[in-house]
Amino acid sequence: MFEILARYFTVDWQAVILAAVLCLSLAAGSLSTIVVSNRMSFFSDAIAHSTLSGVALGLLIGVDPIATMIAAGVVVALLIAAMRQRSGLSLDTLLGVALAGSLAVGVILYHRAQGYSDLHAYLFGRVTFLDTTDLAALAGAACLSLALVGLYSNAFALLAVSRPLAQARGIRPARFDFILIVLLGLVVSVCVRAVGLLLVNALMVVPAAASRNVARSYRGMFWGALCVSVISCVAGLVLGDYFSVPPAPGIVVVAVSFFLASLLFRRGAALSVDA
Amino acid sequence: MTAPVLSVENVSVEIGGRALVEHVSFSLGPGEFAALIGPNGAGKTTLLKAILGQLPFRGSIRVNGRMGYVPQRLNFDRTLPMTVLEFLALTLQRRPVAFGIATRVRKSVSAMLERVGAGALLHKSLGGLSGGELQRVLLAAALGEGAQLLLLDEPAAGVDIEGEAAFNDLILHEVREHGAAAILVSHDLSVVADITDRVLCLNRVLMCEGKAGDLLTAETIARVFGGGKAVYDHHRPVPHTHTHGPDHHHGH
Repeated sequence: MFEILARYFTVDWQAVILAAVLCLSLAAGSLSTIVVSNRMSFFSDAIAHSTLSGVALGLLIGVDPIATMIAAGVVVALLIAAMRQRSGLSLDTLLGVALAGSLAVGVILYHRAQGYSDLHAYLFGRVTFLDTTDLAALAGAACLSLALVGLYSNAFALLAVSRPLAQARGIRPARFDFILIVLLGLVVSVCVRAVGLLLVNALMVVPAAASRNVARSYRGMFWGALCVSVISCVAGLVLGDYFSVPPAPGIVVVAVSFFLASLLFRRGAALSVDA
Repeated sequence: MTAPVLSVENVSVEIGGRALVEHVSFSLGPGEFAALIGPNGAGKTTLLKAILGQLPFRGSIRVNGRMGYVPQRLNFDRTLPMTVLEFLALTLQRRPVAFGIATRVRKSVSAMLERVGAGALLHKSLGGLSGGELQRVLLAAALGEGAQLLLLDEPAAGVDIEGEAAFNDLILHEVREHGAAAILVSHDLSVVADITDRVLCLNRVLMCEGKAGDLLTAETIARVFGGGKAVYDHHRPVPHTHTHGPDHHHGH
């Protein structure tokens, strides 16, 4: 086991994978608290599913699929936000439609583009094939996520408690919805390249879901989520190597194990706790 | 002449084609404490939400300074882990609360809570507070940020009956001490008579406006709340009407 871990520090291409996975864990883990406390988890799922259309479109028209994938994630995120504002329909209805619709369109476009040869990688991830380009994209995603936390996490925390109260303090919910939607579109699209569109949402949701079960403060929830994310990603990668299983599902299994363990230590219903 | 803190001119709010508030105009000077009264569905909360910028409206609303808001009842996810200290610090420091709370802010939050008799709640979980405790924390938040205009939407609604009078006294004391202009939405006419300078009677349109003592007559109340309805209070003597025999409804 330690030999396997040591290789990630000594072998060049494995060091790139480890660095990329660490960036992935920082990007997802730092956003996780905001996503979960502001109830945006289905939103990131819908964005993830829409990226397949982007990849397929890129392959069809001969443009770099990474660029079209990110563009598709952001465009679908903005479309959902615009439809929500104009139609007045509930978010879960719109997300259900967007998720199914974008996935179906994606599969059709993909079929037209090149058949199903590489579809597996987009669905379940390709951690072991991550290269320096992916590392740069994931490092960018991590920087964006941490910048969002640094600049606006107080506003998002207040919005999570009460939107009317936040609005009374001069916070414009529509503006912050837009910022979070665009950023989620970018970060989720980049992370899909590593862990696949079916698994990426677990990384956005499970760390904070596990952490909130045991945390007694918002601060505790944030750092707990970040720790769960980093440990899950590194452990999933190394354990996946050790047991010869794909790393992406390995990462998610470790994160879900944290969640299950957190249920055992869940705070009491009364929630009368000291910080 | 001092500029008004709040100026509402010809404001109308329509939702789904239904007019909830129509052609309302009034203004509040610094330190002025007004009560907004009216029956259920009269548009009191709607008008407050328009002032807060939460609802679209026609007309003009000008607020000179910062607003503090205490909602009737705060509906939020009580399982969200957040302490009272963190909640109050969210708008007092630029640094993310998740990265720690500055000593200056910690002291300031402590003082804010002490003012409303809630010093012991500093490290409690927001989700674990009782209705009365939560309203005190919300009042502390509204007062503590240098607000020039306080919007209090039935702030004692979540407080138990025994604590209600004490809570209203606290509001009066703090608003006077703070020197901010305030609008208090209330069904409790004894509170209105006791603690506010002015009364605004709303029933979709502004039906009357003036000093509490002059306005709170049986005749005015009957006109605002509807002729057949009696309005009285459980705790203190207040003006009330019995215009239509046995058909009594509490004004709470």
